[in-house]
Amino acid sequence: MVEDRTFSGRLFSAVNFILLALIALVTVLPFIHVVAGSFTTSAELAANKFVLIPKVWSLEAYKFIFSTNTIFRALGVSIGVTLIGTLFSMFITALMAYGLSRKDLDGRRVFNFLVVFTMLFHGGMIPTFLVVKELGLIDSYAALILPSAISAFNMIILKNFFQNIPEGLEESAKIDGCNDFGILFKIVLPLSLPAIATISLFYAVTYWNTYMSAILYLDNSAKWPIQVLLRQIVVLASGMDHSATLDGTVPPPDQTIKMAVIVVATLPILMVYPFLQKHFAKGAMLGSMKG
Amino acid sequence: MQEVTAPPRVVPEPQPKKYKSSSELKKRLWRNKLLYVMLIPGVLYFIIFKYLPMYGLIISFQDYKPYQGITGSEWVGMKHFSRLFTEPDFLNILANTLILFGMNILIYFPIPIILALMLNELRGTFFKRFFQTLVYLPHFMSWVIVVSISFVMVTMDGGIINELLAYFGFAKINFLLSPGWFRPMYILQVIWREAGWGTIIYLASIAAIDPGLYEASRMDGAGRLRQVWHITLPAIRGVIITLFILKIGSVLDLGFEHVYLLLNSMNREVAEIIDTYVYTAGLRQGQFSYSTAIGFFKSIVGLIMVMTVNKVSKKIGEEGVY
Amino acid sequence: MTKKSFTLLLSSLLTLSMLSACGGNNNKEAAATKDPGASTGTNTTATTDPAAEPEKPTEIKIMLPLNTTDTPPDTIKNEVEKLTNTKLTYQFFPADTYEEKLNSSFATGSLPQVTYLKNQTTFLQMKEAIKDGQFWEIGPLLSEFPNLNKLKPEILNNTKVDGKLYTLYIGRPLARQGIIYRKDWADKLGLKAPANTEELFAMAKAFTEQDPDGNGKKDTIGVVDRNELVYGAFKTVSSWFGTPNNWAEKDGQLAPEFTFPQYIDTMDFFKKLREGGYMNQDFAATSKTDAVNMFTSGKAGLYIGGSMQDIDSLNKDLIKNVPDAVLDTHSMVAGPDGKFAQWMIPGYNNVVLFPKSAVKDEAELKKILKFFDYMMTPEVSNLMYWGIEGTHYTVVDGKAKATDNKELIEREVKGFKDSVIGEYETNGMYQSLNVLPGRIHAEELVLENVKYGVADPTAALDSATYTSKGVELQQIIADATYKYMYGQLDKAGFEKEVENWKSRGGAKIIEEYNAAYKK
Repeated sequence: MVEDRTFSGRLFSAVNFILLALIALVTVLPFIHVVAGSFTTSAELAANKFVLIPKVWSLEAYKFIFSTNTIFRALGVSIGVTLIGTLFSMFITALMAYGLSRKDLDGRRVFNFLVVFTMLFHGGMIPTFLVVKELGLIDSYAALILPSAISAFNMIILKNFFQNIPEGLEESAKIDGCNDFGILFKIVLPLSLPAIATISLFYAVTYWNTYMSAILYLDNSAKWPIQVLLRQIVVLASGMDHSATLDGTVPPPDQTIKMAVIVVATLPILMVYPFLQKHFAKGAMLGSMKG
Repeated sequence: MQEVTAPPRVVPEPQPKKYKSSSELKKRLWRNKLLYVMLIPGVLYFIIFKYLPMYGLIISFQDYKPYQGITGSEWVGMKHFSRLFTEPDFLNILANTLILFGMNILIYFPIPIILALMLNELRGTFFKRFFQTLVYLPHFMSWVIVVSISFVMVTMDGGIINELLAYFGFAKINFLLSPGWFRPMYILQVIWREAGWGTIIYLASIAAIDPGLYEASRMDGAGRLRQVWHITLPAIRGVIITLFILKIGSVLDLGFEHVYLLLNSMNREVAEIIDTYVYTAGLRQGQFSYSTAIGFFKSIVGLIMVMTVNKVSKKIGEEGVY
Repeated sequence: MTKKSFTLLLSSLLTLSMLSACGGNNNKEAAATKDPGASTGTNTTATTDPAAEPEKPTEIKIMLPLNTTDTPPDTIKNEVEKLTNTKLTYQFFPADTYEEKLNSSFATGSLPQVTYLKNQTTFLQMKEAIKDGQFWEIGPLLSEFPNLNKLKPEILNNTKVDGKLYTLYIGRPLARQGIIYRKDWADKLGLKAPANTEELFAMAKAFTEQDPDGNGKKDTIGVVDRNELVYGAFKTVSSWFGTPNNWAEKDGQLAPEFTFPQYIDTMDFFKKLREGGYMNQDFAATSKTDAVNMFTSGKAGLYIGGSMQDIDSLNKDLIKNVPDAVLDTHSMVAGPDGKFAQWMIPGYNNVVLFPKSAVKDEAELKKILKFFDYMMTPEVSNLMYWGIEGTHYTVVDGKAKATDNKELIEREVKGFKDSVIGEYETNGMYQSLNVLPGRIHAEELVLENVKYGVADPTAALDSATYTSKGVELQQIIADATYKYMYGQLDKAGFEKEVENWKSRGGAKIIEEYNAAYKK
């Protein structure tokens, strides 16, 4: 895009930039606090509540959380589940979304409605547990993936993106002898990279945040993903568990440990976004092909 | 590009063509057989993991005991529903829920759209990516963290904001306990945590816009704001409406954790919502049937809302979600 | 198949040799007290008769809440297995979401043989299922197990359901609550430990106004409290004022505590504290961690209502921030009428259940109870509570001194600590060796408290309405109590809320408790 060199254009850019810089600052400060908090001592945190740049640096918190292999194991589980889960989910979601995006498909409204319906009505924890149990998935990693393999929300959004692809492209592909699978994989998917990147990110984050399925379906704590560890430490350290007894957890784990675990558990998934970001620009291809 | 109306949209509702005979339908079904094959994994998923467990809703008409199961539990008809509707605080709780939802729709919902448009107008790939990455960070902090950081900042007992107020000679404000501050705090935290994350879908659909459109409009001498109004916004209208309809379905389903963490004895009159009520009255007391009945009620209201908005959206020539 | 049985044989042989090895290794105290339990522990026929086949280790699956940051490694478990001839599978689940796991496992028939609950509230919720016969009754069997038989009858009584015993309890001292306060501040201002509630108020006031930390700034407060009426300061102070423990007789009928004038007096006490600025202003929204932090950062001088035994950890964190701080404990605070009173818990904080869905027959139940019988020997209880001698603790003067490596204990031992049945009087485990004067004082006070202990008369009673609506109703009272303390409700307003409580189910609870009480 060519830079707009008029005065009003520049003013617009400047105001926009300053506003965004302010917003970014507000969003990032608490995050800096968490990172700074993880690199200092609990005494410093107690004395100086909203630390942004620690006066005393310390690696104690990281030493503590890395002193056993639990966190590596949990990170490994999370990375594995996220990778496999995202690929699997994207595959079956894209198939379904494409099928339902085709306007000549009979019954598509009924299918769409039935999908939306599941966003509103849930059978509940216990019946779902029974299904997982009957399928023999208890204590298997598949229990973290299969019960949440398709998000109705993601499917609908992806379908929406597919619908915006000009039908002419599909028609011409058909004439060239492509069947529906061919159209999906050779035409539609390559043209929908921003959408694929977005929905993959959504799935990846969902899988990364898996907590309740792990607690319900995995009895072996060696298989727990990182979120279980994270939440356990955060809840203990925040004193927000609702299981008040005289016992409680005094002392709670150090606040510095809480922050270090947040950093360690968040960093891997944060790195996904910049990696996917470059695909957002590629969507422009669609326009150029149309034109 | 002189007229202020949006460019004409080319989305006529392309229903399957009316067929004259069943043989024509059969023919079309056969032609689209591969599309149906594509639906199989998804349909199986929804049947097994979503529709199969839905028999669990039955327990809202029972006095369900886990050890007796659904077959053994006593039927009580509408007892749990009438308990909910006759609860003295029911109207207040419903109103609180609707007000928070209204704030979500009126205040929060437009913000990611505006933010996405602003991000899109940034010049220079580096800044664009840099700011995008920063604003989406807060989504990864759990509500526990968000609320505890807020606590440290706004508490009367040495919180930074109150210290600043005192320093400049203002009276301290009891953010945490006064009913008047609960809603602003709630919505600010929602905006802080979710707005940046919410831009992602919009940015992706903006990325799909044909750059040629902007080119042409610049030829016509349109300024930046004008391009946003005439090109970008109309192009993402479809996704805005889809997200809106899906959001409407969660009218009574605001989520439990965030509000529960902000809730205390002093602000309960404005902060108790259906989800926090379910937690205390249902789950914490092992009242499975009552919890399920309340969930059922929430779902039905959500369904009515979605169906209504979907209908309206189709009336005005939009796509709708089904 | 053959490989499996071979391993089994091998491991049982190993276990056997360990068992006999440990038999000679009884620690002093065990030998001194010479429990019958210790002898049953080693008295397996195998040890006396080497020709007999060694008994196969009992396989037991155990589910319990996780109160530490991470599930403990097998270090302790392996030792326990050796001592008890078992093959144990511990399934820990985060305490925070333990109810969800418990409920879904229960509803789908997948509870393990040994199911720990989370606290008294979860126990209350299970009562209906217990009455329905979902769990094994163990009362009649206890006498067969010499160690289990030592469990305190009065506490067992508190855990009975319809007069029958289904559970083993995890014991806790009856009244550990009190004050942990800044002795250095009090000394500096010439104050003695408060003998009555008036002096307590005066201390909070002095801690706020007289610059006890000597930094020239008015930046300290007296009391730090949190959003919790029972385990925060309120209930403890209320019992000093003479408020009954949850329920008491009034005109020949059981009545809830908040219908007594002493409850109002307590609220007035806190109202005045708050209005004077002698306590943290946001206490109705302050979490436990924030409250503890305010104390350990040297901002507040009085921490009331928690277990006085927490003084060790509070002290550890406090001296990091304020190196010359000195803490002490105190609990003998007389009410306006000059009398002492301390509320008491029912003597346990959690119980264990044995689901019929997992334990097939009485023979299997007995094998599992056998394991718990072992657990109540000093060897096993010490192992699970203190860890491995020499690694996690040492014995000094007949008491256990935990190693300075707190992380090691937190990691390897603490997860098992909360699962030990009974208490030191019954299972013979070591008491802790205390160094901190305030902690030694605390131990004396814990015993002293019981002399003035007030029990909850409803501890062993049932009320169906309380079970299904108690939490929800209690919230009405909690809200009204906080509003009163914040000056938003007056006495008439509070009484109106009590009426509200009654009309929404409270009256029924009163009725049901009284009916059960008369029996």
